[in-house]
Amino acid sequence: MTSKFAGVVAALALALAACGSGGGGTTGNGAPSGPGTATTIEIGSLYEPQNLDNTAGGGQGVTEAFNGNVYEGLFRLTDAGKVENLLAEGYDVSGDGLTYTFKLRRGVTFHSGKALTAADVKASIERVLAEDSQSARKGNLKVIKSVEAPDDATVVVRLSSRSISLVYNLSYVWIVNPAAKDLATGEDGTGPYKLEAWKRGSTLSLRRFPGYWGARPANDGVVFHYFTEATALNNALLTGAVDVITSEQSPDALSQFTGNPDYRISEGHSTTKLLLAFNDRKAPFDKPLVRKAVASAIDDAKLLQSVWAGHGSLIGSMVPPTDPWYEDLTSLDPYDVELARKELAEAGYPKGFRFTLDTPNYDPHPTAATFIKGELAKVGITVDINVITADEWYTKVYKNRDFAATLQEHVNDRDVVWYGDPDFYWGYDDKQVTAWVKEAEQARTADEQTALLKKANRKIAEDAASDWLYLYPQIVVASSKLSGYPVNGLNSQFYAYGIKKS
Amino acid sequence: MRGRLTFTAGCVLVAAVLLVAAVSLVWLPYDPSDTTGGRLAPPGGEHLLGTDKLGRDLLTQLMVGARIALTVGIGSVLVGGLIGVTAGLLAGFATRWLDDVLSAALDIVIAFPTLLLAMLVVAAREASLGSAVLAIGLAMSGVVARLTRVLVKQVLTQDYITASRTSGTSWPRVVAEHVLPNIAPTLLVNLALQLGLAVLAEAALSYLGLGPPPPNASWGRLLQEAQATVLTAPTGAIAPGVLLVVLVVGVNLVADGLRDLADPTRRRSR
Repeated sequence: MTSKFAGVVAALALALAACGSGGGGTTGNGAPSGPGTATTIEIGSLYEPQNLDNTAGGGQGVTEAFNGNVYEGLFRLTDAGKVENLLAEGYDVSGDGLTYTFKLRRGVTFHSGKALTAADVKASIERVLAEDSQSARKGNLKVIKSVEAPDDATVVVRLSSRSISLVYNLSYVWIVNPAAKDLATGEDGTGPYKLEAWKRGSTLSLRRFPGYWGARPANDGVVFHYFTEATALNNALLTGAVDVITSEQSPDALSQFTGNPDYRISEGHSTTKLLLAFNDRKAPFDKPLVRKAVASAIDDAKLLQSVWAGHGSLIGSMVPPTDPWYEDLTSLDPYDVELARKELAEAGYPKGFRFTLDTPNYDPHPTAATFIKGELAKVGITVDINVITADEWYTKVYKNRDFAATLQEHVNDRDVVWYGDPDFYWGYDDKQVTAWVKEAEQARTADEQTALLKKANRKIAEDAASDWLYLYPQIVVASSKLSGYPVNGLNSQFYAYGIKKS
Repeated sequence: MRGRLTFTAGCVLVAAVLLVAAVSLVWLPYDPSDTTGGRLAPPGGEHLLGTDKLGRDLLTQLMVGARIALTVGIGSVLVGGLIGVTAGLLAGFATRWLDDVLSAALDIVIAFPTLLLAMLVVAAREASLGSAVLAIGLAMSGVVARLTRVLVKQVLTQDYITASRTSGTSWPRVVAEHVLPNIAPTLLVNLALQLGLAVLAEAALSYLGLGPPPPNASWGRLLQEAQATVLTAPTGAIAPGVLLVVLVVGVNLVADGLRDLADPTRRRSR
């Protein structure tokens, strides 16, 4: 008897698990902020940091919570994509473009009370360049030959070759007190907030730092609430447990907020691209014609509609519209099944072929893989979907390059330059593109750089180096009591200091 | 009388699912990978139960899912039954220290949570239908083995076993002619119950993304995929949930009915 009921109850529980998480209240009141109490902004996010150190694999979560909030760089990338001075007051470049002299802002102190000096900046840059650093941007800073601190307020960076993106790249280098211990669970930065507490799996709270050198934040503190599931996060906003969702990942949940005066939905620009990345080294994807055929066989617009219900946009290459070298290349490999068949036959695969698609196990990858399997079946290509975890992806695909094709989201802006690196995981190797990317970095003017990267971008698109399926939307949903929050979320940063609650 | 009623009701429910699975082999409303239905079309018209996010027909997915549920259910009962009964027979005949060792081993297998064991198997192999069957079967074998052991020990104390041994019957013949027929009814009832649990375990594994990989339309995966759209397209979550309940309740009722029918003492008391 008991086992019978256990079975029934478990069946119901499973059925309800899907429904239950969709319920929740309908009131839209923000968290109460009574008179006289300090205002704290409750932020809901799906991206809890792995650890708190961005040179030790902290992931996008730590960028979201800490970039510009707890740690600051010499420069800041604004939500509009502009680079402006932050801890640097200004800089000079030598005639040959190989020596940069940065003047530091005075009166800046770390949260521990220590004053910021040029030696700290030197140590922070070297930290990113260190052997064991896992910083995603390490490669971009390889041109740095040496960092010197001639006096407390001056930093001199010498380069091995010109690097037009140096200042931009320095906006990702956190200035950290080198004396600080255990940066994986603590911090010592110069930002407007200091870390109050991090309860793993739950919340990360930041409190206003009274000794901050710059303008006082519009609130007294922020708490990041972490969720593993989009529906639960939406419910938290509906019940007022959080005030804002940094990046809405469930388009179907938006109907709960549209037309409700208690909420405001903002759709900004994202830099996250969903890629069907081929292993360009290995047959059959070493042939551009095969890759083009695959790209033409997949109806990207329909996939985007399926996953995002009309949000997001199509891209024809790695460059999102917010990058200066953007060009609309969506017409290069149009959705055309007949064309795909012709190209396959021309490439020597008239009957198609079979390949394994390594698919990360989290959304939207399995959905996209299912869709791609169906699309490619129409041109005779059989797809075996191999579902793997993020860790497996890192080892199997990214490090060992043991794959035929894979799905992956690439979140950074200005990352088209990776196609200039033949050692990158997808193994795209075109001498011309490599040269253009290199020359672009050594360009004297931004126009020259833009022109070269446009050329490189067109070439990779013509070669279908990867299949760029779509560009994610960046949707922020907030209580209408909130204002001053960033809407673009470039590289998943989320500046909290301007957020006000009325 | 009541035994017969539950048995009939259970048979009807199970037969319904069996029928759906059988029909899916020869006929489906749409191709399972046909995405022309439009995103989250509501039930009715061309799509009886509507479509999923990708525009695939939900009824088609559910029919294919019935096949997967039954395959895993029956497959893991075969695996679990074979390993379990064999191990249980061995343990039943064992005496002294060997019996203690085997019993302890069985207890450890039983104490291991099914899902955790399944995750280990999936990690060691890959997420596939075969892994799911193997994992669930292995987890089930502990329970079956322990039951078999107890039943065998009971039978072995009976006088007719001693009689048959003294008359010169070999052990294999004793097992085949006396032990197995005597423990079969109880075992069958238990295996039927295990089948229901196996179907649930598969749904749970698929829900966690550890079952057969996409695009296999396991009911658990359908539930998981429908989770994000449960407010806009509730059929996607309700339909696989209902089917899961129908199959599991059906199997349990059959098991219950079987027990009543197989047990003469119960039959007489009603």
